[in-house]
Amino acid sequence: MRAELAATIAEREEILARLREMLIDRMRLQRSPDEIDQDAPLFGAGFGLDSLDAVELVVCLDTMFGVVIDDNALMRQQMRSLNTLVDLVLAHRQGHVARR
Amino acid sequence: MSLADDVAAVRTGVALTDGDVTCVRVGGGDAHQLLDRVSPRPLFARQGQMVDTLLLDDAAKPLADLYICCDEDDFLLVAEGMTGDAIVEYLRGHAAGLDVAITDLTPTHGFLGLHGPYAWELLAEVTTPDIVGLSYLSFFHSGGLTCFRGGKTGEFGYDLMIERAQLAAARAQLVSIGARLELREISLAALELCQLEAGFFNVRREVRDGITPAELQLLWRTSSDRAYPGSAALAERRATPHPRIALIVGDEEFATDASITLDEEPVGGVLHAGKSYTRGGYIGVALLDRVVSHAGLVGFRAGAAAVRTVSSPAVNNRSLFVDPQRHTWATRDQATFPPLVRPHWS
Repeated sequence: MRAELAATIAEREEILARLREMLIDRMRLQRSPDEIDQDAPLFGAGFGLDSLDAVELVVCLDTMFGVVIDDNALMRQQMRSLNTLVDLVLAHRQGHVARR
Repeated sequence: MSLADDVAAVRTGVALTDGDVTCVRVGGGDAHQLLDRVSPRPLFARQGQMVDTLLLDDAAKPLADLYICCDEDDFLLVAEGMTGDAIVEYLRGHAAGLDVAITDLTPTHGFLGLHGPYAWELLAEVTTPDIVGLSYLSFFHSGGLTCFRGGKTGEFGYDLMIERAQLAAARAQLVSIGARLELREISLAALELCQLEAGFFNVRREVRDGITPAELQLLWRTSSDRAYPGSAALAERRATPHPRIALIVGDEEFATDASITLDEEPVGGVLHAGKSYTRGGYIGVALLDRVVSHAGLVGFRAGAAAVRTVSSPAVNNRSLFVDPQRHTWATRDQATFPPLVRPHWS
């Protein structure tokens, strides 16, 4: 496997693991990590997170990754699944979204 | 009439479909016990609520994509992927010793579907203004129809169950009143393209022999601590390395069942492909070796077409930003909404 591809996968997996741990430990999701499918909806019918959880998630993204979401539209479109959250963290690291 | 216009109606307006779903009523003193026995997901639902779950065979292959709807002492099962007859037979096969009455409503009832960011506005005119407050995965009865709020396009979506004797008149009423909202009658093919763009599971297109919820990223619709049809096979699959689906996109056309390579090594195949009229280019669901089944990876080929993986959903649904308290079809051009295509980094 190309080194660049391997590095991209490793970085996504590192962020995914931390997000899954956060959902289980901080948001008390009663699931094992492999059951939290990376494209599954986090809110509503998916894992049942609600508006209070959304606030907690915003706080966690700040404390864990330094990602500050102050754009409501950005928040709605990026808090849909683990994968969209990973995209947001990577975009933050790469300077595509505003840094604090 | 074009698929592009049909998809645009779902993404920005209101679209009407003739529903390709079936409904079965389950009653009797042991109805809950039967459905909890066959549902991979625990059956916690109050009156008027819907649980989205699956029906699996003993090999854990999904047979139906199912809503179980709690209707006072009975349950309504709204399903895709199986006929009413097949669902009745499946349930009876698991109902030994239980007091249940199972009725296929398909011969007596038909379905219409309304989809789009302003679907609620048309439905409010036809039924009741209260429809605006109907939560996702809830339903209600109004006159001769039952309205289920679900949808698999990422937009507002409602399935309307109507007695067959009233179906044509109800359809005509929707078309007549919907003219004000430029209601568009669309095909199932267009609806499935929207479903593909939104990353919703399509039981008609994405199931193959040997595939389970573990490959389909549907473990969230199962549980690991209870027994149900397919639970042993699913546990076994989870314990061994298995591929996983991911959304793929590309500028060139690729086909369902095309092989996927990465740096000329085979890594999977396309389960379902189509043109993405919202994004431009093409989109598909690919079953990939687990190590490369992540979003955000480039360098794949589906057949000869260059493709990359993306997060689901692949579009930015307008319905996320349409608020029935603030927006209307008539004033839609005065509102500012984010683009339908997600940012390049996402």
